[in-house]
Formats: sequence, C-alpha cells, structure tokens
Amino acid sequence: MPTIQFGDVQVEVDEDGFVQDPKQWTEDLARYLAKQEEGLDNLTEDHWKVIHYLRDYYQQFGIAPMIRKLCKDTGFDLKYIYELFPSGPAKGACKLAGLPKPTGCV
Amino acid sequence: MSATPVKEAGRPATAQRAAEAPAKGPSRGSASANPPGHDRPYLASEKDLAPLGLHWVDEAERPARARELLDKMRHYRRTFQMYMDVCTHCGACAQQCHSYLGTQDPKNMPVARADLARRIYQRYFTWTGRHLPRLVGAEDLTEETIEAWYKYFYQCNECRRCAVFCPFGIDTAEITIAMREILAYLGLVPRFLTSVGSNVLRTGNNMGIPRPALLDTVQFLEEEMKEETGKDIPIPVDQEGAEVLYNPSSSDFFSNPDTLTGAAKMFYAAGISWTLSSEIIETANFGLFFSEPLLRAHSQRLIRSARRLRVQRIVAGECGHGWRTWRMFSETIHGQLEFPITHCAEEACELLRQRRIRVDPEANPQRVTYHDPCNLARAGDIIEQPREVLRQITLDFREMIPNREKSFCCGGGSGLLMDEMMEVRMQLGKAKADSVRATGAEILCAPCAICKAQLPLVMEHHHVPVQVKGLLDLLGRAIIL
Ligand code: SF4
Ligand code: SF4
Repeated sequence: MPTIQFGDVQVEVDEDGFVQDPKQWTEDLARYLAKQEEGLDNLTEDHWKVIHYLRDYYQQFGIAPMIRKLCKDTGFDLKYIYELFPSGPAKGACKLAGLPKPTGCV
Repeated sequence: MSATPVKEAGRPATAQRAAEAPAKGPSRGSASANPPGHDRPYLASEKDLAPLGLHWVDEAERPARARELLDKMRHYRRTFQMYMDVCTHCGACAQQCHSYLGTQDPKNMPVARADLARRIYQRYFTWTGRHLPRLVGAEDLTEETIEAWYKYFYQCNECRRCAVFCPFGIDTAEITIAMREILAYLGLVPRFLTSVGSNVLRTGNNMGIPRPALLDTVQFLEEEMKEETGKDIPIPVDQEGAEVLYNPSSSDFFSNPDTLTGAAKMFYAAGISWTLSSEIIETANFGLFFSEPLLRAHSQRLIRSARRLRVQRIVAGECGHGWRTWRMFSETIHGQLEFPITHCAEEACELLRQRRIRVDPEANPQRVTYHDPCNLARAGDIIEQPREVLRQITLDFREMIPNREKSFCCGGGSGLLMDEMMEVRMQLGKAKADSVRATGAEILCAPCAICKAQLPLVMEHHHVPVQVKGLLDLLGRAIIL
C-alpha cells in the first residue's frame, strides 16, 4: 500500500489516492490531496461545504450519502459539484474528504 | 504544515504509485504488489483477501498449486472439461467477441483465451498432451502462464456472446468463471472484487451500506417522491408479511435513485405490499465472478431474509448477472423453494398486461433504444418483457442492431468496473457504442447496475450523446398514480 509522508505522519493511501484511515484526515491533508489529486490550488468555501457535509454524513452513517441527497442538502447541482471537484462527487469529493472510495456498481 | 511524498517530491501521487509497481504480472516480489494497472486490475493484498477466506500462495509454489486446482476443476465442472475437449479451432467465435474487437489483441479471441487454459489442460490431463505435447500445442504450466491467465481472464466480460456463435456451444464465459476461481485460490483477485466481496459479507450489499444509512436514504427518497407527486409513496423496510421482497441494487441508494423510486411507484400504483430487507439490498452477486463460496453465501442470505419476512415472492431489481444467479442457481443451491423469484421487468410486464398499472407514453417522448444486459438476454430469459414495457411507456422506441441474444456487452460485465482498467473498459465498450450511435437514440435504457455504471462513460468516451436510464426509471416517469 503506498504512503504519503505528510508533515511528521505517514498516511496510507490506496492506489487511487484514497486515505485508508479516515481518522488521519485533517484540513491540511485535504488541501494537499486537492492539489495532488484534483489539481486544485485552493479550496473555496463551497469546496469546504461539500467536504464537511460528506465528513459529517460519514461520521453519522459510516458511508457516503446518496449523490442526490448531497446535492439537495448542499444546494449545489451535480454540474456544479463537478466544477468544484473535476473527478466528481465519488472519486473527487469523497477522496478529499477522506472517505473510503465508494465501491460497487458505481 | 508542509507535505512531501515519500519519493520524488512533486510528481503526482498516482504516477508514483505506478512507478513503484513492477513492470508486469501478478508477482508480489518487491515494494508494491501491483502492476501498473493499464491492462489488468490491481491485485488484492493479503489483508484484502482475508475476509473472503483466501490467501496468497507463494510464487514458487504457484504453478504446482495451479495444476492441482485445474485438475480439481475439470472434475468438479464437467462442462469445463467438455469445453476443453471439443473445440475444433474453427474460429467462428473470433470476430464475435467485443473484447477482441475493441482491444485488437488476438489473445482476446474467445478461442485464444480458452487456449490459455486448454494448452495446460492438454499437457497434463490428455494422452497426446502428455506424450506428444508439441503435436497438440500443449504447454508446461509456468509463472508466465499464470500471469497471462490473470490478464486475459480479466479482459473477458463473461458475456457469453461467443457461445451463441460457436457450433458446439462452447461458452468461454464458463471457462473464465472457472479460471478466475482457480486464480482466487492462488490469491490472485482484483482488489475491486475483494472490496465488494467483503462489503457483501459484512452488510449484504456491494456498497457496504449499513441499516441506519439505508433508512436515512429511504426517508429522503420518500420525501422526494412526495414533493414530485404529492402522494405518500412508501419504501418499506423489513416489513414482515409483505407480499413482495424487492431486492434492488445498492447503487440505487447512491447513483441510481430513480430505479428504486420507479419500483416504489409501480408497487404503489398496483396496490402491492412490498418491502426491502436491510439484510440484503443487493441483487448483484459478485461471487459469480471469482468465488463460488461467496455466491452461495449471498444466495443463502436472500432466501433466509425472504423466509424471515414471510413474503410470497422475491422480485429482483435491475441487475443482470445477479438475476442469473437467482433464477438459474437458486434451486441448485437450496432445493425447491416455496416462493417464486421473478424479475422486475417480468413484474412490470405482467402488471401492464393485467391492467393493474396504467401508463402515459407522453412522459417519455425522446427516442429510446434498449441495451440487452448480457445476463438477462443470454442467461436469464429476459428479452421480450422489457420491450413489451418500453413500447407502452415511450413514444419512439428503436431497436439497436445487433440485439437480443446477439447484443454486445457494455464492457463492464463480470465486475470490470475498476478505475485502473478504464482504458481497456473503453475499448471493451466500443462495439456497444457503435450499436447505440446508429440508432440516433437520446435515451439508452439499460436495466442493469453494472451497465448503468459503465455505459455513461463509454458513450461519452466514444462521443455518443445519449442518457443512460433504467427500465424502472422510465416506467416511474410514465406511470399514472
Ligand atoms: S467457435 Fe467454438 S469450436 Fe470454433 S474456435 Fe470458437 S470455441 Fe472453438
Ligand atoms: S464471454 Fe464475451 S468477453 Fe468472454 S470471450 Fe466470450 S464473447 Fe468474449
């Protein structure tokens, strides 16, 4: 399993760049992943809104929310989510939020 | 805080991961266990394999172990042995495989794929192969053999199209299924499949959705339907004594909600009491793709849930291969069942015939074409029912060519949905993209969760401007409530 050295901690990520232990997530790590994985130089308020929404949902339910629910609760349509996170809600936003990669028929 | 990657600061993380990986094959020698991943899936680690009861086999021991497993397999699956014996190398299957057509790799011709196993089978288990190996092209089993197995049995979608064209009915999908099982016992499984497999064992669904999340999502969708229709359309969960246990795809709770609400509207309009089971919200059965024990475990979970909820029948949701396992394997595994298992397309078709639901085709005015999911058309007797439904719920339905049992696979079949295989997946989808493009359709109806994950990417990649929808998605729009 690849690791990234982040400050003084080693963060384990999978081949697709998803953080393996959601507890290792920090806002700084999100900024780092945003740059490395999504090519985003900075994260705006709207990015953070999505990221924090995903994290809160994950903490409560142990899984990423339905995409339509994410859109409705953040007030952002899917097109805008793709503008924010070029790889989309699952492969982009969830990755930056430190959630496991949504898997299955998706 | 500053962050530097372990090696070669400044390079994107993915490139590093690829650079760390050995150049070829399923070898686990050095730093990383995984190949670059362009033409074969990432391998599961020992830790990924553990929940499925699988283990790594040492590289040095693999060829001998593979030979033992092949010997067991030929006795366990008689069709496998027969397919090994009867091929005449006539070549009729070659041009019928979308995997070969898309990748142009001759080893992806069905006969060549099967020969990767057949040459070894002949070498060790036939008289001529043992005594005159060169005469029949028999080959020793080596580490290279196993590497080729891993690559090419994971470039087959198990779609069974080759079997339609083979004069002997040789079904290369069956060979792939058997060979992936052997690979699994060597510890060689795509990580994507083990991650799904362990979710299924833990939660009963591919995505790993726990009950509280299921309930939250269901409530959200009920509210959505209320907003849309003004009606209280329920999505019941764990309701004992309901007439129907509806078994959806877990992706309905993530990316395909309209398929689930379509089912809810259908049952509501027909006055049928139904329920989901939080123990199993998954028709898909990925066990079919690499692990018979997993296939059986998931099947047992379904039957157990149906009995516990005392339903009168199970209705399978929009999934192709899962339907094959429910319809074709249930009685083999469990003996005769006290309730039938039907498919949602059969259900919709029957409700329309009996006029228990009414529909308005004006709701779907766009041109619609239908993709036959391989396992519905070639392994599950679902061919005419969805068409009968579509003709009533749309205004402009066009067949694509080829269709029905000759339809091409979407390219994602048999669980080839992993990101690292994207390039190959797009090649595997090319034949389908060409079929769809020729129809000029605006909507591509594909009632299978794997197809629904794969086809939007394929269509975009091959520049076919079409939206992909499930059958129940379109029914849900047209149904009069
Ligand atoms: S069509 Fe059948 S017999 Fe002919 S080469 Fe293909 S698998 Fe063999
Ligand atoms: S099952 Fe499908 S993908 Fe596999 S060899 Fe046959 S035609 Fe090709």
